[in-house]
Amino acid sequence: MAAAHEEAARRVWGGAVPLQVHLHDADVTAFPPPPPFLTLGPRIGYLPLLIPIIKAHFSNALPPGVDTVWFEYKGLPLKWYVPIGVLFDLLCAEPERPWNLIVHFRGYPSEILSPCEGEDSVKWSYMNSLKEATFIITGNSKSVMNMSQADQIALWEAVMKGNLDGFKNISTRLKLGPFEEDGLVRTASTERQRQQGSDEPESPGSGRPCRVPVRLYVRGVQEDLEDIEDALPVSDWESVSYINRPFEIRKVEGRSYITLEHALQTLLPEFFSSDAQNAEELDPAAGNSDTTDPSRSSQEADTTKKTKVKLIRVQGIELDMDIPFLWVANNLKNPEYYLHVCVYVGTRKQ
Amino acid sequence: MAEAEAGRAAIRRALRSLKRRHLAEEGAHSPAIEALTRPFAAHALEWKEKAEKHELELQQCYKAQSRLSEQLVTEIGEGKASKALLKEKEEMVTSLQAELEKTSEENVQLKQSLDEKTKALDLLIQEHQSVKAELEQALTKLKVAEDENQSLIDRWMLEKMKDAERLNEANAMYEEMVLKLKTAGVGGIQHNAQQEADGIIRRSEAGYMDTPIPSTCTITIRAHDGGCGSLMFEHNSDKLISGGQDQTVKIWGAYTGALTSTLHGVLGSVNDLAVTNDNKFVVAACSSNKLFVWEVNGGRPRHTLTGHTKNVSSVDASWVKSCVVASSSNDRTIKIWDLQTGFCKSTIMSASNPNSLAFIDGDIICSGHRDGNLRLWDIRSGKCTTQIAAHLDVTSVCVSRSKNFVLTSGRDNVHNLFDVRTLEVCGTFRATGNRVVGSWGKPCISPDDNCIAAGSSDGSVYIWSRLKNETPTILEGHSSPVLASAWCGLGPLATSDRNHIYIWS
Repeated sequence: MAAAHEEAARRVWGGAVPLQVHLHDADVTAFPPPPPFLTLGPRIGYLPLLIPIIKAHFSNALPPGVDTVWFEYKGLPLKWYVPIGVLFDLLCAEPERPWNLIVHFRGYPSEILSPCEGEDSVKWSYMNSLKEATFIITGNSKSVMNMSQADQIALWEAVMKGNLDGFKNISTRLKLGPFEEDGLVRTASTERQRQQGSDEPESPGSGRPCRVPVRLYVRGVQEDLEDIEDALPVSDWESVSYINRPFEIRKVEGRSYITLEHALQTLLPEFFSSDAQNAEELDPAAGNSDTTDPSRSSQEADTTKKTKVKLIRVQGIELDMDIPFLWVANNLKNPEYYLHVCVYVGTRKQ
Repeated sequence: MAEAEAGRAAIRRALRSLKRRHLAEEGAHSPAIEALTRPFAAHALEWKEKAEKHELELQQCYKAQSRLSEQLVTEIGEGKASKALLKEKEEMVTSLQAELEKTSEENVQLKQSLDEKTKALDLLIQEHQSVKAELEQALTKLKVAEDENQSLIDRWMLEKMKDAERLNEANAMYEEMVLKLKTAGVGGIQHNAQQEADGIIRRSEAGYMDTPIPSTCTITIRAHDGGCGSLMFEHNSDKLISGGQDQTVKIWGAYTGALTSTLHGVLGSVNDLAVTNDNKFVVAACSSNKLFVWEVNGGRPRHTLTGHTKNVSSVDASWVKSCVVASSSNDRTIKIWDLQTGFCKSTIMSASNPNSLAFIDGDIICSGHRDGNLRLWDIRSGKCTTQIAAHLDVTSVCVSRSKNFVLTSGRDNVHNLFDVRTLEVCGTFRATGNRVVGSWGKPCISPDDNCIAAGSSDGSVYIWSRLKNETPTILEGHSSPVLASAWCGLGPLATSDRNHIYIWS
């Protein structure tokens, strides 16, 4: 299983969204207009970090003068401090590869986006998120505050270049986890060991991290959506709720581990708690319709349970609801120790 | 455990979907994107380079073409020119062939004439050679004649030279004779005749005849530059010998004032003079610690007497033996010399510096010393026989012709006359104004012992009579202090100052 963890982290760090960047018509000053620029955007990376190479590509066709560069997808200016992977998962209901973005070199929409001054802004945003996460996990942010300047720079360099080993070297010194996983993830030998000493009381609060920093992006879609592909594009950040909530690790009665479902219920009671029961009640009807396919049985069960929640996407994949939440938190987290979860919720508002 | 299994399965599924996502996203697109981004740049560069290269080549081609076309033009021009040249040449060839024929004919003619000429030349050469041989013979003859001529001239020249020598000798003889005649003078001859008439030998004996007291200056001679320190007459002769600071000794005729001869070779000034009794040699005492001896006849230097270590102050020759000379020096010695050999016979040491000395007898000399004593010495034993206090400082000693009296002068300006036999003072002479001139003043006694002459620093000469105690006769005429005086046996008195000698009679 250790290899599996390693593999998951590598996939997360190596993940990249193919981007096709078009220059906005208003910024074109050359004829013929320059061809779109194809590149890979790292999932854990941020859009402003791509600006230098994009600028180089379009340098011949740019109007004179300098302004902040910004990106747009289907009329929506993209928030630069959200990782590329999250933006992609959130805004492309059906993954569009390559992802067509429009780049602007003029007219920064400062009323929508917070100002960005290149790499430094991104770095500080990253460091601030890391501090928040540290505070949530350990109760204070000392370990980040006390980091040496050289370590900070090295850490940022590792994040920028997607260098997982370099990141690990420094991040282990922050002592942020991993979260102690439930028996499920343990190897056979440790399992046995645990069984022998099962009388020992579980003490999750004793120096162990007991809270998980989670960022939830809740996007509303049409309630009667048949296929996720048909979801209307997001035209406005107002329709996306951006929720920062820590998840407290607590033993759940009658279960050996915390499932993703349980965690989400705790985190988003408004979408899960009451309606879940309704869903369960409604379950048989939905279940019957699709029981013929056994391979999709679990997914069906998920959808039947949550009528409202259309889709949950973490790092570009849809997860089973019974997956151990702490494994997800350990392996699918972003470098700032936040777990970014995109949730598509059906709303009645059309 | 079923739950756990379910969880694990979920994780596996999650991993699988991660893999799928990977394949769909970066796995599918990254190679294409990389392939798109890289080669384009590379191609563009390559093409650009190629295009540049081709352009360069094209330029070179153009250049080459233009060059070639230029060449073509020039070559065409050259071709035309050469064609024209060829035509000219062909014409020339024909004309030249014609000329050649002509010239070959001429050549044959010329050859014939040349043969004739060469024959004529051969003949001429033979003639020339014969003429040359004749010329050489003539030249050799000429040379022989010239040689003979030369030898004849040489011989003639030799003869001429001999003649000239003989003529020179005759001239020299004549000159000598003229000189002799001059020195003798007309007066001299008369005087000699008179003397012979009177009987010179008789007259010269002391006390036999009276010496007149001189009163007038007869002759003034400019003798020595820088001072004439000593005067001396030859025995029984009118020849006056003078020695001075100019390193010469001169011999004069006292009656004529003519210079007879000059003796050279002295180093330093002459302090005193002496003549041997046979009038053969003159001895000069010099400040250069030496005595010089000349032959009077011919003036050849005979000896240089060395041995004194200081200024030789005085010299006198014995009147008995011809070759004995005594000299005194500031090195407090008196030396006796043998003129035959030129060696010092004996040396007498004295307690005080002898300023002046004179022979009294053949073996007795008297000397005046700086300590004021008059000493008499026997030169055979070298011992002092008598010592008399005479003055404060005896500057001069003079012995009379009869050898009876000794006149001493001192720095006390007194002249004392001693009787040799008794060694007592028999006369003291002094006068106001008569002052002895340092160590130079040399008074003298007249040949008849009756008068005493002494020069003074005021330029006058005082003459006292020995017997008549009266005021001295004063001879005035010198312009500077009178240094030396000498009384000739024949009468005249000679005195000297810095540059001049006055002869009184």
